[in-house]
Amino acid sequence: MATDNIIHFWRKNAKVPGSIQPVYGAQHPPLDPRIHRTFPKDTPKGNNLKSKKASSFHEFARSTNDAWDIDDENDEDFLAPIHPSSLPPTLHSTHQVPPLPLQQPSDTTREPDTGPADRVVVKSSSEALLNTNTVRSTLQKQQSLPVRPIIPLVARISDQNSSGAPIMTVRDKSRLDKFKYLLSCPNTDLEELRKHSWSGIPREVRPITWRLLSGYLPANMERRDLVLKRKRDEYFGFIEQYYHSRTDETYKDTYRQIHIDIPRTNPLTIPLFDILEKGFRILFIWAIRHPASGYVQGINDLVTPFFVVFLSEFVEEDVENFDVASLPLDTQRNIEADSFWCMTKLLDGIQDNYTFAQPGIQNNVKALEELVSRIDEDIHNYFKRYEVEYLQFAFRWMNNLLMRELPLRCTIRLWDTYQAEQEGFSHFHLYVCAAFLIEWRKEILSMVDFQGLLMLLQNLPTIHWGNEEVGLLLAEAYRLKYMFADAPNHYKR
Amino acid sequence: MGSDEAYNFVFKVVLIGESGVGKSNLLSRFTKNEFNHDSRTTIGVEFSTRTIQLKSLIIKAQIWDTAGLERYRAITSAYYRGAVGALLVYDITKHLTYESVERWLKELYDHADPHIVVMLVGNKTDLGSERSVPTEDAKDFAEKNGLLFLETSALESTNVETAFQNVLGEIHRKVSSKEVTRGSISAVSLSSPVPRAAGDPEEKKPCCRNL
Repeated sequence: MATDNIIHFWRKNAKVPGSIQPVYGAQHPPLDPRIHRTFPKDTPKGNNLKSKKASSFHEFARSTNDAWDIDDENDEDFLAPIHPSSLPPTLHSTHQVPPLPLQQPSDTTREPDTGPADRVVVKSSSEALLNTNTVRSTLQKQQSLPVRPIIPLVARISDQNSSGAPIMTVRDKSRLDKFKYLLSCPNTDLEELRKHSWSGIPREVRPITWRLLSGYLPANMERRDLVLKRKRDEYFGFIEQYYHSRTDETYKDTYRQIHIDIPRTNPLTIPLFDILEKGFRILFIWAIRHPASGYVQGINDLVTPFFVVFLSEFVEEDVENFDVASLPLDTQRNIEADSFWCMTKLLDGIQDNYTFAQPGIQNNVKALEELVSRIDEDIHNYFKRYEVEYLQFAFRWMNNLLMRELPLRCTIRLWDTYQAEQEGFSHFHLYVCAAFLIEWRKEILSMVDFQGLLMLLQNLPTIHWGNEEVGLLLAEAYRLKYMFADAPNHYKR
Repeated sequence: MGSDEAYNFVFKVVLIGESGVGKSNLLSRFTKNEFNHDSRTTIGVEFSTRTIQLKSLIIKAQIWDTAGLERYRAITSAYYRGAVGALLVYDITKHLTYESVERWLKELYDHADPHIVVMLVGNKTDLGSERSVPTEDAKDFAEKNGLLFLETSALESTNVETAFQNVLGEIHRKVSSKEVTRGSISAVSLSSPVPRAAGDPEEKKPCCRNL
């Protein structure tokens, strides 16, 4: 019934492509004006689209409609979603701890070098996982549903794809094997892991790699389970200790603000946050444990990538429409606790972005201005001429780590590198912002007034962006950092 | 995309008020005739623009939508500079958002031109059954403080156009009566024009200074 409705929503939307106009001012995901081709949307089955609140989902669907108008070139992202409500009963008991596939390395994982006898190509990521995770593969076989020709926003979080996707290249396969090898060592070499993560982490190993790179999970394999259990217990200890106080006078402002913001969290994970109070609890606990900054809008966005990545361990691809409540309770709790800790680690490094007067952001915006004045005088002077201040557009770039400017899949890819870089979130981000600005050089210089410039800069058309674009952006950022970071006078006028 | 159509005035208007009262949706309703249920939190300040005709004049409204969150004030107050109009928005169903109106007003007068045209806007009239701020209270407050007043619904598109039109019209009235117009595209200031140093030519500004 609800499913029928939702199918109807998609169809309705499909009939009027472009009927939802972009709302400038970041109300919508970045929009690519070049993309107006109608996608064959009459076929979607929407089988796994579940929503407890059809009307809210409808609104959600409407607001995200433009995201679905993506070129055929993205066909690689077709998915075969799992039907969440029909998880086999055995799974509920076996999924006490999320499977960290590489903790029980299979034959493949032990052989990083792909010999000729080895499969040269792997048809899909799910197949690749057959060896390492029987629970999941069983699940997949039983629950695979017809391919849905829609590209969800987070679909391209993968380097490789599930069924229906192009075959994994030899290079991808050996990259994945390299990760698997590193992760299965008794003591994971974090330096080596960083080195490989810099250019993107394969989807299959991203959750565990993120846990390691963020410093949440120890490199020592033997200690991992123990640490995970302890940290997860600790988080739920916090909840026991603090959560009841959310309605206290002291915290009522924090409570109210997070309450208002949770449904307005970027990007598009409303079903995730709506169904459970996970997001709310994560933010509330973080806020009251960090009184120097407290809760600041933007922090709510930052929890999303972690949540989505950790959830992706249990869901094939179509994460944003997945009904989290259908997962076993323990699994839900683990995802919540892991998201909390990894977000905390991230925020530890950029806390002065969110303390009074947000000095971290102000400094970064100034640094961006200074950097751009050295690397692209034209743009810098153009801004001056039209009285565009960097703060007017770059505040959000810093406050939300470009999450408002890029599709979620790109943020996730970006964070692979940020976690691989030393001071990725606090320092390297600056060079990414500079590279991102220069990326739009032509468009910027074609604007003829302040209004045009601001409208462009607050609504940069990145909806079609994927790993390739982010890869190029990061390469350029790296080049800038290499040239300018330790050369404060380089090109200085 | 660059907008270079002719206009007589650029008026800078700011949207202020507590978080979640519907500022961004008022703006998108006015500038694009759209409403978004899942509108995201405004980070810092976001910008939009619309050109309207007022009698024989073309007026470009340059509207700055500010985040309601306290933490952003240090940043957002900088955006009040040069504003000639403001919509101070509260939610008619959330009395707390009305109680903070005085604080917002003070903040506005601290940073903006004292002659700024301010309209008190009670938004979300579509939720009339949950109303907690009586129209009369707000109206009285507005009168006492020399503010324009309207109740709106961005969702149902009630009074949104009127609210912006009235503010822009009032700005124009003030501007014309003070005869501060300088050229067809000019900076607009509601206070007495600052005497310029001799030899300092009046620049054509795209708008009141930004920041």
